[in-house]
Amino acid sequence: MSSSLILRSTLSKALIKSSLIRSSTQVRQSTSDRFAYVPGGPIYKGTVNDPTTFPPPSKTHGSYHWAFERLVSAALVPMTVAAFATSGTNYPIFDGILGLTLIIHSHIGFDSSAVDYLHPRKFSVLGPIVKWTLRAATVGTMVGVYQFNTNDIGLTELIAKVWAA
Amino acid sequence: MSVLSQAARRFVKASVVDARTFTTSTRRLQAEPLQKPVLNKEFKIYRWNPDEPAKKPTLQSYTIDLNQTGPMILDALIKIKNEIDPTLTFRRSCREGICGSCAMNINGQNTLACLCRIDRDASKDSKIYPLPHMYIVKDLVPDLTQFYKQYKSIQPYLQNDNPPEKGEFLQSQEERRKLDGLYECILCACCSTSCPSYWWNQDEYLGPATLMQAYRWIADSRDSNGAKRKEYLQNELSMYRCHTIFNCSRTCPKGLNPAAAIAKIKLELAAD
Repeated sequence: MSSSLILRSTLSKALIKSSLIRSSTQVRQSTSDRFAYVPGGPIYKGTVNDPTTFPPPSKTHGSYHWAFERLVSAALVPMTVAAFATSGTNYPIFDGILGLTLIIHSHIGFDSSAVDYLHPRKFSVLGPIVKWTLRAATVGTMVGVYQFNTNDIGLTELIAKVWAA
Repeated sequence: MSVLSQAARRFVKASVVDARTFTTSTRRLQAEPLQKPVLNKEFKIYRWNPDEPAKKPTLQSYTIDLNQTGPMILDALIKIKNEIDPTLTFRRSCREGICGSCAMNINGQNTLACLCRIDRDASKDSKIYPLPHMYIVKDLVPDLTQFYKQYKSIQPYLQNDNPPEKGEFLQSQEERRKLDGLYECILCACCSTSCPSYWWNQDEYLGPATLMQAYRWIADSRDSNGAKRKEYLQNELSMYRCHTIFNCSRTCPKGLNPAAAIAKIKLELAAD
């Protein structure tokens, strides 16, 4: 009598345990199968009690990028003023640096927009296309400005002429 | 018999006297009860019912008498729910701006319904929407799960492996003053949901409310985990999606300045 009771209780305990394991795995499988995680979508990673995760830390993408961007923006102000005061033909290196800085400044700005609106995590096709198009365009513009500054009148002179015309 | 008739006669006499007093002197002494004029104002409220998911969200119009309503938008909502439409759904708790439950978009501005006065101009309607760019549970109730998960991710609690030998952590008045304007945040999510960057990149960008709390723990002199806290933010998405738009500081119903806190984190990270 007592032995059968013990047997039954252990049996039921084992049954409960196995069913618990099965139910938990099934639940996990069903959520991952039926609801795939979409960035920005209504499906959350993990349970509602799990904190969100951070991307791997990288100062190049973080503070260095930010500080560089601010330095470039701040540097452009005196450089533009100086370009007014001097002439491009007399100071070709200065003219070149101004052109380069403007391109870098524009690149960072466009890149920031692309990260905001067309990040590859959400746009797996369009995101990388935009990213690489921007990089190609930046390199192309750099080559163009270099050619223009070495073989033609240069950036500052051009703006002065257009202004006067 | 005679006693009875006498009593009856006295009663009749008394009632005649009473009637006379009613019709003449007393009425003239009574003040007219104050009748407030009816001031009907239209409220257009965002409605969406999860039980009918195929039906698109609509603006439902309710007209109530402002002179029979409390001064705040929350009073109007409660009046509508009590007297006109009990299916109207919204969160509210403290009705004094300390719980942050009734955050919603009122006339285009994220604010707390309990701190927002009703515009007495009855010619214009008041439009009430839930917090923008959030998933909606029902009517004016947004799903704040992601917001809370992000708040949890910055570990908003004191971390220090070297507690003082005895007693408590001591702080100078200057150190304590750094936390003013940070600790008052009630996490109503008004600022985060007013931020365009948070609209587009809500899954990765933490948003002003969470970042201000991150700074609240970075700035705390008693916390020794500041380096780790700063390291978490060293990527292009978690914090640097802030483009200093300042919607957060403009909308904060508690008058706090999340944009300044984010700027201070950026400065500390740049100085690292």
